[in-house]
Amino acid sequence: MCKKLVASVLFIFCISHLAAQIRHTISGTIRQGSSGETLTGVTVAVVERPGAGVTTNDYGFYSLTLPAGNYTLRFTHVGYKQELVPVKLESNIAVDVRMSDDSRMQEVVVSAKKENGNLTKATMGTEVLNMKTAAKIPVVFGEKDLVKTLQLMPGIKSNGEGTNGFSVRGGATDQNLILLDEAPVYNASHLLGVFSTFNSDAIKDATIIKGNSPAQFGGRLSSVLDIRMKEGNNREFQTSGGIGLISSRLTVEGPIQKDKSSFIVSGRRTYADLFAKLSSDLKDTKLYFYDLNVKANLSINAKNKLFFSGYFGKDVLGVSTLFGSRWGNSTGTLRWNSVLSSKLFSNTSFIYSNYDFNVGFTSGGSETNFNSHIRDLNLKEDLTFYANSRNTIRCGFNVIHHTITPTRAGGTNIVNNTVSRKGLENAVYLSNSFRASDRINIDYGLRWSFYNVLGDKTGKTYYTWEPRVSMSYRVTDEASLKAGYARNTQNLHLMSNSTGGSPTDQWIGNSRNIRPEVADQYSVGFSRTLSNNVYELNAEAYFKTMQHQIDYKDGADLNTVPDIESELLFGKGRAYGFEVLLKKKKGKLTGWVGYTLSKTERQINGINNGVWYDAKQDRTHDLSVVGIYTLDPRWTVSGAFVYTTGNAVTFPTGKYVVDDMVIYQYARRNADRMPATHRLDISLTYEKPARGKYQHSWSFGLYNVYGRRNPYSITFKENKTDPRKVDAVQTSLFQWVPSVTYNFKF
Amino acid sequence: MKGIISVIVVGLIFCGCEKTISLKYKGNTSRIIIEGEVTNVAGPYWVKISRSIGLTDTGSYPGIDTAVVSINDDAGNREVLVGQGNGMYRTFSLAGVEGRTYTLNVTIGEQVYTAQSRMPLRVPFDSIKVEKVRVTGDTQYNIIPVYIDPAERGNNYRYVLTLNNRLVNQHFVQNDDVKSGFINTDRLEINDDDLKFKRGDSIRLEVQCIDKNVALYYTTLAQIADSGPGGGTTPNNPPNNISNGALGLFSAHTTQTMSRTMP
Repeated sequence: MCKKLVASVLFIFCISHLAAQIRHTISGTIRQGSSGETLTGVTVAVVERPGAGVTTNDYGFYSLTLPAGNYTLRFTHVGYKQELVPVKLESNIAVDVRMSDDSRMQEVVVSAKKENGNLTKATMGTEVLNMKTAAKIPVVFGEKDLVKTLQLMPGIKSNGEGTNGFSVRGGATDQNLILLDEAPVYNASHLLGVFSTFNSDAIKDATIIKGNSPAQFGGRLSSVLDIRMKEGNNREFQTSGGIGLISSRLTVEGPIQKDKSSFIVSGRRTYADLFAKLSSDLKDTKLYFYDLNVKANLSINAKNKLFFSGYFGKDVLGVSTLFGSRWGNSTGTLRWNSVLSSKLFSNTSFIYSNYDFNVGFTSGGSETNFNSHIRDLNLKEDLTFYANSRNTIRCGFNVIHHTITPTRAGGTNIVNNTVSRKGLENAVYLSNSFRASDRINIDYGLRWSFYNVLGDKTGKTYYTWEPRVSMSYRVTDEASLKAGYARNTQNLHLMSNSTGGSPTDQWIGNSRNIRPEVADQYSVGFSRTLSNNVYELNAEAYFKTMQHQIDYKDGADLNTVPDIESELLFGKGRAYGFEVLLKKKKGKLTGWVGYTLSKTERQINGINNGVWYDAKQDRTHDLSVVGIYTLDPRWTVSGAFVYTTGNAVTFPTGKYVVDDMVIYQYARRNADRMPATHRLDISLTYEKPARGKYQHSWSFGLYNVYGRRNPYSITFKENKTDPRKVDAVQTSLFQWVPSVTYNFKF
Repeated sequence: MKGIISVIVVGLIFCGCEKTISLKYKGNTSRIIIEGEVTNVAGPYWVKISRSIGLTDTGSYPGIDTAVVSINDDAGNREVLVGQGNGMYRTFSLAGVEGRTYTLNVTIGEQVYTAQSRMPLRVPFDSIKVEKVRVTGDTQYNIIPVYIDPAERGNNYRYVLTLNNRLVNQHFVQNDDVKSGFINTDRLEINDDDLKFKRGDSIRLEVQCIDKNVALYYTTLAQIADSGPGGGTTPNNPPNNISNGALGLFSAHTTQTMSRTMP
């Protein structure tokens, strides 16, 4: 029985091995011409065999096995010139390619074949963010920001101005796995949500997968945001930077061994506090953040490469000696890439990640402070086996040791009794990317995750099987249909009972009472290209169910309560929606229109009498329109418009008096809506033509062009002149924010 | 804690602007409101029974005068309260004693509402300490009630603040979850958006030692009022100690009052 099973699995994995021909493998690494950065997601096609083809992995590596013969390989990637390489395949060979920037990106290039990766790939709900595009999209304070740009994509919603985090397909903020060079980042924002922790100068690319992630990813219900840092220029030294109203950036990169290895160091700091020092009123106030990205890679030999990447960021907020707070992430990743054979690629990673929060007060001559942290040690092994031109098999494991210290009080007269919780989060996975025919692609895989609660005498372990499958069927050369199913589990949960998010929010692992959250997502999609691949249309519909969702009892103070678990309530959630994205990819005007129609509900025992209610992040309509218009090679103008339905909130319906104070009466939870948010932002970029190595550019931006006062919060107060009346008072954060940024590179 | 962060951030980096807006409210279901107290000082003690009104109504809160109201304690005393009109009921003989548990019974037609509250032992209050600090150019007053928290955990304190004879419509609760058995140094978390203290102002502070359920009621109200980044929990009717779905609160507590002038 068992042998039979193994045999049939092998059969499925290696169907095309039946053809008894002599085969050889072409493998190699694709890099950017000028800097030597490896390129992820480059399509490698074989002109003579339309059915064969692969894309480069996260390290720019590809491997392709074909029968002996003469071929022409075609390498294509958005924003780069196509490369055609003839090969004579008589034995296993290496073909490394350097691709050069396509400065003619704006022009319509009519290609003989309508190549579009989105049509042929089975992946669903995936958006790759091109940092070149992101640089031209207007953002608040002119600080280009990949998280803010992602929020302009359908299905990805900002939680609102001034709050950190985002919600993907109705999920909560903590249900996004945010990885920076594989290291989880637990708090992805600075200054309470105004900036993301990612310095875009140090970022190569970012991919977000909205629930249908391949089996190598796991641990969060809603999405994976996989961010890769640049490796640095391995040809020549380069300095680049920018000076903005709020912050400045500086990046230095260069070769360690020319053409082989490189480093990059990139730093950023805000300086609002330096101006504040000039004002006598604010001189005792501290408010800033800084972050530092460092990465280096080292070629041991042609087949082995080491990468080290690190991130360190801190936010500091304080008022003289009365109050002081600092929080931040630090991560470190050590990776070892090894090409074990021309068909087998291995990546081993050791990862460290830490987030800590500290706050201290003085009052009445004594001091109180609170701190919390989460610290991970993580080992990952990932093997990719390029079995043949139809099957790419991936397998691996992941072990993460979590140490979580919930908010711990300290200071004068405080006896500390909070203990750290520990847990081991493990997963083993196997998946195959199967090219069933020229028209059908199927990615399928299985992830087995298990979480050990450590330190608990009973030694509780939770096991979950997570099947993942997605497939595409190419109906015509221009159109394809897709379908997918994925299960995700989540073993870490963010305790946040505030309406926004806060750096004080703390993570907690599974325990006897807290079970892993589980989500099952079903989705179908349709993609097609229009007008010779100038336009691309993607539409997806999804339905998602979520188990073991967590909410809080009324009045729970999650920071000081001795036993946090006694304050929790459990229930379930469901989300469904329809997303459509129309992109214009070529021409003087590029950009996209994204629209989402969605619903997200929860049912928690003990809340709203156990009846389903709209989740806070439920947004019926969400529209974003982004346009980038190239006036001439120097001037680019861009605009972004967003419209979203307001959050689901609870307004009072009545009032009464207790102890001479007016108290509001509430009815159903989240039955009301904040007013809708809409806004237009514009920006203008001037790029001076490069003179030798020196390049520079100016960006001018205006956030919220028509000064809409978007709702941030609504509070209810007694009317000042007639205390019998109640006023609803809306607070808005940003009304017209102009910005100017100067960027340079030499 | 969250409150402080939000105030500073909103104050410093955002051009936070406020405006009064008009909203459409869902219809209100009028509910029975029961409010009663027993304290350690001599009565009469009052119980008030009324109905809630719609948020935008400006009329008075209709009293219910047809209720049968009684209070008994765990020492075998029981008194039926006498209606005084406008939904007010009073005691004549009941004496509040520290450490006793009081039960309120209210019958309105067929409906019976009960509530229980234990009057904690009184913790003597020493004084009100006022600290003057400069925050972003403004003078901020920290009001710190001074008392010695008993060594045993589980003490809860509620404060009713009056500024220049005007009641401050905010809820202040302290407990000994974090620090127990020491002189209190924690200030009241006052939201001073609409409240400015100045030198010479007279403040009065009523200090109540309350039981756990009463503390939860007021803590929830305080959390709902806290808005801004990281603040503001989803609002709800605060969990109370009255059965059968009535809103309001029955509190047996000790009371002491202190006054002082702002320095």
